[in-house]
Amino acid sequence: MNDEDMPDVDGQTIHLQELRRGTVVLACLRLLSEPGYGYSLLESLQSRGFDTDANTLYPLLRRLEKQGHLTSEWNTDDARPRKFYRTSPEGLRLAQALTHEFRAIAAAIDALPEED
Amino acid sequence: MNDTRTPPASATLTERYVQAVTRSIPEAQRDDVAAELRGSIADQLDARIEAGEPAEAAERAVLTALGDPDKLAAGMIDRPLHLIGPRYYLDWWRLLKLLLWIVPPIAAFGIALGQTLAGAPIGAIIGATIGGTLTVIVHLAFWTAFVFFLIERYEVGGAKEGGVSNPWTLDDLPDVHATRARFADMVVNLVFLALAAAVLVWDQLFGLVYLDGRWMSFLDPGLWPGWMGGLLIVLAVEAAFQVVLYVRGRWTVGLAVANTVLNLVVAVPAVWLLSQGMLLNREFWDAVIPDDPEKVYGILSVLTGFGIAAIAIWDTIDGFLKARRAGS
Repeated sequence: MNDEDMPDVDGQTIHLQELRRGTVVLACLRLLSEPGYGYSLLESLQSRGFDTDANTLYPLLRRLEKQGHLTSEWNTDDARPRKFYRTSPEGLRLAQALTHEFRAIAAAIDALPEED
Repeated sequence: MNDTRTPPASATLTERYVQAVTRSIPEAQRDDVAAELRGSIADQLDARIEAGEPAEAAERAVLTALGDPDKLAAGMIDRPLHLIGPRYYLDWWRLLKLLLWIVPPIAAFGIALGQTLAGAPIGAIIGATIGGTLTVIVHLAFWTAFVFFLIERYEVGGAKEGGVSNPWTLDDLPDVHATRARFADMVVNLVFLALAAAVLVWDQLFGLVYLDGRWMSFLDPGLWPGWMGGLLIVLAVEAAFQVVLYVRGRWTVGLAVANTVLNLVVAVPAVWLLSQGMLLNREFWDAVIPDDPEKVYGILSVLTGFGIAAIAIWDTIDGFLKARRAGS
């Protein structure tokens, strides 16, 4: 589950982590168009193939909130109070831009010379 | 939840972990972070226990996966985990190298000269020079790193806040000559401040003028150590101000206000001391101009007072003019 636990084949781990970092931001912004709390988001990220740890997700959520891409609200109706996050209009615009960019990058990679 | 006492030994691992994370989080966010963290840990625990893991092992696994609490806390409040990051590293390193080229040689020369004048034996001269120069080097290294450490943490409106909305354009490219000039300005100012501090200390300890067969200080010896210590602290703050000014790259209204405060902090006590006859060394002026010392001293005090005020006022106005020209 944790990248750091994987055997480091030819020093790949650090490059893979770098590549994934931005995609988690995008995934959070898109998933949180429906309000969600930390653990539920962690689950959906993992089930959708975005390998994320709790100790990177929570700081990320706070950073995105501070930047105005997410809004948050405490829900105390349940026995366990939970902080629900939701993507702000600004965050949705960011998600759109990131998605667009990601597709462009994927297309650009496809157009690269084939590997052997 | 504001309770920051050490939890009793019987506290759960989770509670100890939450406390360890939140102790370094600012008061305003502490409860929020603690509550969210508790909820998250509980959620993860439930999932593992439901999957059939024993409760204790599950708790250990969840907390271990969360990792070092200080690192998590730093992430939560976006606190950098380095002294000086890539944004300022080169500025800091360039400044430190240059200061190390300039200041220690001057200090070594000054100490050697002082020891020689005081008639110290050659061994003591060498010892004091090496020791003193090393102290100066350590101070330079420490204070430059400290100022940049503060800038790294408290600079507002930097790239961090700008995020993706601040595209870099060619217009942001600094003019090579202008940058060099500003850098040179800062270094000149820093060296000047260091020299001023050295001269002040020298004047108080040894005296600057040789008269009637002995060294006399120019300023009132009674200023040492209280007033003089305060002035040295202000000079250090002024040095930090010069570095901040360079890093910002231009004058702003905030910097002009800070400059005004610094000027007031120097000028007001100086003029007051002068009016009390506590700034200049009476003895010195009596020795220089033996005729009618009372009158001379009076005229001199007035001139000095106006001089101090004029410099402070001019420097203050200059700061605001530069801020306005910089378009802030």
